[in-house]
Amino acid sequence: MDEIKISAQDVNVFYGETHALQDVNVKIRDNTVTAFIGPSGCGKSTFLRCINRMNDTIEICRVKGDILIDAEDIYDRQVDPVQLRAKVGMVFQKPNPFPKSIYDNVAYGPRIHGLARNKPELDEIVEKSLRRAALWDEAKDRLGQPGTGLSGGQQQRLCIARAVATAPEVLLMDEPCSALDPIATAQIEELIDELRQNYCVVIVTHSMQQAARVSQHTAFFHLGHLVEYGETGQIFTNPQDKRTESYITGRIG
Amino acid sequence: MQDLHIASAFDRDLEDITALIMKMGGLVESAILNSANSLVDRDVELAAKVRAGDKAIDALEIQINEEAARLIALRAPVGGDLRTVLSVMKISHNLERCGDYCKNLAKRTTVLAEMPPIGGSSNAIRRMAREVERMLKDVLDAYIQRDTELAADVRARDTEIDQMYNALFREFLTHMMEDPRNITACMHLHFIAKNIERMGDHVTSIAEQVIYVVSGEIPDEDRRKLDRTSFVGKVGG
Repeated sequence: MDEIKISAQDVNVFYGETHALQDVNVKIRDNTVTAFIGPSGCGKSTFLRCINRMNDTIEICRVKGDILIDAEDIYDRQVDPVQLRAKVGMVFQKPNPFPKSIYDNVAYGPRIHGLARNKPELDEIVEKSLRRAALWDEAKDRLGQPGTGLSGGQQQRLCIARAVATAPEVLLMDEPCSALDPIATAQIEELIDELRQNYCVVIVTHSMQQAARVSQHTAFFHLGHLVEYGETGQIFTNPQDKRTESYITGRIG
Repeated sequence: MQDLHIASAFDRDLEDITALIMKMGGLVESAILNSANSLVDRDVELAAKVRAGDKAIDALEIQINEEAARLIALRAPVGGDLRTVLSVMKISHNLERCGDYCKNLAKRTTVLAEMPPIGGSSNAIRRMAREVERMLKDVLDAYIQRDTELAADVRARDTEIDQMYNALFREFLTHMMEDPRNITACMHLHFIAKNIERMGDHVTSIAEQVIYVVSGEIPDEDRRKLDRTSFVGKVGG
């Protein structure tokens, strides 16, 4: 059994008057891909964004309850959100490389966090990160070219390389394949499967098939509640909650 | 060999479920040989072993069906992958039935061991069982190799099993007509022969699944049916 990496206790999130997440309790395992599924507005992305305090950037957003990573409360006053986000990397729906070279995209995080003492060390981090993201072979001869010149699937892998360059422990992915074609999607999914050996991966997806394919655990959110959380095979063959069954079989929106 | 999937976990799932089929097939092959040997050698201990061993075969069928359901739910297989998963479910059912027939054979062996032998029928039954076992071995190879020629060959060989069964059927009729004290043993032996003949049909069904997995089509029912015993006694038949 893999160890618990992230532990959420009685998490409630409010956007102004809106109660977006209600009493979420969940323990997310390390070296595991955990998928969050549920209809739009169910709170799955909100919860994902709590894990690296992205919600701090939204003024009207309030988060109550505790989220622990390795038993450390990430909402503690002493935690620096910038440091936290180096430890908890994020990949977004649309590939968003910086308008810089492929090399600089990956080197950006290590530079601002001072992770490399010299150029050879930085080179090493860039190569290792691009390899982790299965982009090295395609990019190694064009590291100086702009990241925006890559194909959509390559750009997303570049964003994954950028996320892993700061040596994170958790990788959050918010619909990382929704802008990609089926082959690029399959490649990213295969990459996610490899990444789980080194990271705790949490992915939000609208595609239930994707959740089924890539994750070992699945959490179903509905109307701000975490309805069901379990082993992915069980969720998709024998869900315990009627709402989960209805959602995965396409009966509620 | 087919190209690998981009999602390597998909390939692993398909390999795992195929490995379970092979494991199940191996258990059934042993059960066929052991049950036939127990009959000829009047070895009730071996028969008891066959009866106990059927649990493992049944458990594998359940496991295979669960894995197949999981694979369908999680991977949404299409094309050849879908046919593979469907075939696996069908083949596991065929194998499970064969396992049951072996168990039944072993039960009857314990009864027959107490009775005088009926001619050389036990040996004839064992020859039939051995041939079915060879067919099963070949069809499982054909499944792994996706070898439709070998599968078609296995399918054709079922007519030999039918002929062996016809011959035994007539032999048992003769023994029963000669001496009514033979009836109990002959009834048991006849059920055994019939069950082995049914195993041949299940093996044939597996051969058809091989052809289905490769071609997407179940072969037509154009085999010559040589089991004529359904018409024995028919006036003018």
